[in-house]
Amino acid sequence: MGQDKLFPAQNAELPGAFENITLKENHAVEILAIAVFFLLVTPLLSVHRVTDFMIFCIFAMSFDMLYGYMGRLSFGQMLYLGTGAYGCGLFIKYINGNPLLAIFAGVAFAGLLAMLLGLIIVRTTGACFALINLAFNHIGFFLVLSPLRSITRGEDGFGVSASQIGSLNFGSRPIMYGAVFLSLLLVFYFLRRLTSAPYGIMIRSIKEDETRVRFLGYNTFLYKWLTFALAGTIAGLAGALTALNYNYVNPNAMDVHSNVGVVFACLIGGAGNLYGAILGGVIYMLISNFLAIYIYRWEMFLGFSLLIIVFRFRMGVWGYIQRFWVHKLIPRFTKKEAI
Amino acid sequence: MSEILVADRLSKHFGGLIAVNKVNFSIMADEVTGIIGPNGSGKTTLFNLISGFFPPTEGRITFFDNEITHIPPYERVIKGIVRTFQLVSVFNSMTVWENLVLSSIRFKEKHVSLRKFFFSSAKDKEIKENCLRALKLVGLQSNAQALTSELSYGSKRMLEIGIALSLNPKLLLLDEPLAGLSDGEISEVIDLLKQIKKNFTLVIIEHKISKIINLVDRLCVMNEGSFICEGNPDDALCNPVVRECYWGKREIS
Repeated sequence: MGQDKLFPAQNAELPGAFENITLKENHAVEILAIAVFFLLVTPLLSVHRVTDFMIFCIFAMSFDMLYGYMGRLSFGQMLYLGTGAYGCGLFIKYINGNPLLAIFAGVAFAGLLAMLLGLIIVRTTGACFALINLAFNHIGFFLVLSPLRSITRGEDGFGVSASQIGSLNFGSRPIMYGAVFLSLLLVFYFLRRLTSAPYGIMIRSIKEDETRVRFLGYNTFLYKWLTFALAGTIAGLAGALTALNYNYVNPNAMDVHSNVGVVFACLIGGAGNLYGAILGGVIYMLISNFLAIYIYRWEMFLGFSLLIIVFRFRMGVWGYIQRFWVHKLIPRFTKKEAI
Repeated sequence: MSEILVADRLSKHFGGLIAVNKVNFSIMADEVTGIIGPNGSGKTTLFNLISGFFPPTEGRITFFDNEITHIPPYERVIKGIVRTFQLVSVFNSMTVWENLVLSSIRFKEKHVSLRKFFFSSAKDKEIKENCLRALKLVGLQSNAQALTSELSYGSKRMLEIGIALSLNPKLLLLDEPLAGLSDGEISEVIDLLKQIKKNFTLVIIEHKISKIINLVDRLCVMNEGSFICEGNPDDALCNPVVRECYWGKREIS
């Protein structure tokens, strides 16, 4: 074949510089950094609040896979969070009180729904993609609100009280905190592995030029669908944890308007980066938790900051930290070494 | 020599416009075919039909005796039909070597497991070496770490050809590989094409006839959607019909 003639020497010398510059990601250090960060902020805020923050960060990461990495802006990611919450809550209410099984049920529900709807949704792009998601989210919201009222108790929602497994009581704050903390680290690790693998390059390529990827011999539909289903599944995990954390589920878990929050979080943190999603998630939660104490209509502040981000700071907070790191700090260190 | 690709009465209509009109066309193995013709004569449309960008209005295409008329572009790439684009199409937001990851793991398709595709780092030694080998061929190995958007247009063109080559094509379609390049860059690309023509079957669309005349084994001339002449390059250029559509009537008289 032509290939063998073209690239003959398997052990032809390769430029060594390439080996040196490319730092391999060290996932253990990254996970440790995130763990330390959340453990440090816990005493400053409160266990319950940080649990809430971390759940939102999981949700923000799921959204970032879709928007930041694959370039598909969705206004309906809350549908999967809500499905996860209702899946988990209804499982506990009607089938079994085991919280671990309930989390699994919530995740499975959301994942299956995302797989099913993904078959239709990922065929679209751009505004159409955003709006078709919004439409499905609306449908979901009204389904739980009205036609399924007999099961979901409509607007009132229902209480979720998980049973205790051994000494594992999800009703207690520290245990819930631990479970969410572990989930966050697991999700981060899983997504970090995915996004630094060739699959990550694939979805970033789809963001930039999907047609080109098709002409590299890949069925892009398959990968878009997979990413959509993955994002839905992880949003479902966030939903299931929300249900357990608040001990009740109501249609707010699927509220269409809450989509703004996650879009905002991704933009402010820096889309296309898992750190950006986590940082953005924390910033958004800080604003919505604390600004609301001082300013009655705090959403207005969100609107203004969104305008400023979109027009002036497209890279988001993490983007600027990264740029500072690459352009200012790394050259300074390497210069010192050279001397 | 055997025919690897045969187009049989291939047509493409855009509304009332007939871009490609009942073209019968075949490509021989290990041959370099040049396609020339005035603007709007249907050269790129023909490429789009062969590579599967859009389906033909009528006619059929066979590749190694298998009909491929209606299969999607990615399956054609797997079968070995690879193309480049008239306007350079590389991933600008990524580094140069990242551009080659998807194509170089494709040709190793059978060796790359799903686990590797989804969970091992793209900076894996094997993947990296494959990328680097392809970069070396097009002379970009020193730019491996650079952001693609920082490359010159000529380097991007070389990168695009490198991506195409790393897919290990049985048939490589080059759509105006010299367009927009400086003279120095043109000779670089020509040298590369001369080097690879021994191993690959190439089809080149080009406006700069003088640059590719020494490269091609066979020249096809298109006008208004059909082939008006094909054969040995020198004979094709001497053909009065070709001269008329290319240089106009006045020069001939």
